Amino acid sequence: MTELENYLFSGIPIRTTLDNSTTVQYAGLLCQLTMKARSTVRDIDPQNDLTFLRIRSKKHEIMVAPDKEYLLIVIQNPCE
Amino acid sequence: SQTSQDASVQTDQSIDVAQAFQQEVQVDYTSLLLFLQRVEDVVIKELNKNWTSRAFDGFEVNWTDQNETVLCLHTLSYPEAQDQHLQVTSVSWNATGSVLACSYGRLNDGDWSTEKSYVCTWNLDRRGLDPQRPDLVVDVPSSVLCLAFHPSQPSLIAGGLFSGETVVWDTSRRDDPLIWRTGLTDDTHTDPIYQVDWLPDAKHSNHVRLLSVSTDGKVLVWREEREGRLALAEGFALVAQQIPRSAQLKKLTWGEAAVGVTSLSFSHFDPRVFIVGVEGGYSLKCSMAAETPALRQTGSSVPLRAPAELAFSPHAGPVYSVSCSPFHRNLFLSCGTDGQVHLNSMLQTHPLLSLQLSKKYLFCVRWSPVRPLVFAAASGEGDVHLFDFAKSSQKPAVSIKQAAAECPVYCLEFNIKQTQLLAAGDATGTVRVWQLSSDFTEQGPREVTHLEQLASEATD
Repeated sequence: MTELENYLFSGIPIRTTLDNSTTVQYAGLLCQLTMKARSTVRDIDPQNDLTFLRIRSKKHEIMVAPDKEYLLIVIQNPCE
Repeated sequence: SQTSQDASVQTDQSIDVAQAFQQEVQVDYTSLLLFLQRVEDVVIKELNKNWTSRAFDGFEVNWTDQNETVLCLHTLSYPEAQDQHLQVTSVSWNATGSVLACSYGRLNDGDWSTEKSYVCTWNLDRRGLDPQRPDLVVDVPSSVLCLAFHPSQPSLIAGGLFSGETVVWDTSRRDDPLIWRTGLTDDTHTDPIYQVDWLPDAKHSNHVRLLSVSTDGKVLVWREEREGRLALAEGFALVAQQIPRSAQLKKLTWGEAAVGVTSLSFSHFDPRVFIVGVEGGYSLKCSMAAETPALRQTGSSVPLRAPAELAFSPHAGPVYSVSCSPFHRNLFLSCGTDGQVHLNSMLQTHPLLSLQLSKKYLFCVRWSPVRPLVFAAASGEGDVHLFDFAKSSQKPAVSIKQAAAECPVYCLEFNIKQTQLLAAGDATGTVRVWQLSSDFTEQGPREVTHLEQLASEATD
């Protein structure tokens, strides 16, 4: 299994174990998606809020732990 | 002379962010640490759950319409070439995936052939495509045995001739497409050229760097010189005595081992590593970085080197085609006159798998560019066999009948840009473009893992 992580601050990466261009791509795209996911949850129920986001794809799973200031993104290849 | 001035400048958003990343971002490390401590447990718990989760086993989503069958989209030919009973010796897709070229020549007789031949191109995305009228026909004074479009410049195509010459045409020039040629010098091959390839670094460079292989046992690298001449940049010569002998190979008469090269494939992972197939039935792992001088220096202007590092267990007959996997650094396929495909790992002499796909010859084998477990093979019985290790390790998933029973299919190429297309050329002088079913074009969820498992099954 390969596990890669990066941390974000308002779309700007702070630390990463990936290469720069991939990190920037993930950062930008997932920041937007997380904001959209959060507003979806709060639109349905204003008392609720997003705690965790997981995206499952053919090749791996992306996990996002959101916060007021930061995002932690982890990409995992689940084994067979 | 020209002067130019920028009217406006646009900055790329992503470059700005990347630059911001390069500088030290102003971060409050205390609050960052608190954040990480808060989320650490949650994330680790989720990661661990994923390891053991079976929730998604067998769960697959179809985003596109599933195409169940293999269709013949186009049947292309050049009637004048067919009237001369010429065969399709090679096909190649261009860098954009819209243009298909084929070369006409002869593969089935060993005479010194001086009849002229043709290179034809069709733009398949063009409206008004006439399958019997190629968009461009290039008359060539000698039989063309192999073609290769440039990996990034859509109009450049290289060809190898029966005469031993390597040439490059520019298909955007209608009146005289020939732009580079080696000519017939002391450096050129003395036998027909069976494969030409652009070097892996040709993609990013403006300079012409080509490679040709021939049954004279040489692998030559050409570079551009002035006035349309290709000059020898470096070269390799295979000599029987210099082929490394593994103790595991049975005793064979090496002295007369025919080392005429019939095919070559570069590794997709290390651009200096390449595999060649030779007439003696061997596949050899070679390196561009080899330094040992070859025992045979045929008066060429550049000293020839011995490239072979490892010999693999041979086929029972000449190898006609080799192909390195785009998904695994050690796996490659070879096929030849024994009708078998060998799946080899570069780490061991004996093949991982031997598949008898034909009772006659197999002329070409190619890995799929999108499905790690799929390859195609062209047979002497007129079939294109599509093999899928995900379905079976013993027989083809699909066998496409391209031509009548005695009519061999000589060449095939997958289209890298339009991955559902496969072109194959046969001895009747016809090129067929096949549209593959969806299961051949979309990578399955755990294919690469499956491929790695295949690769690690050692047989000795």
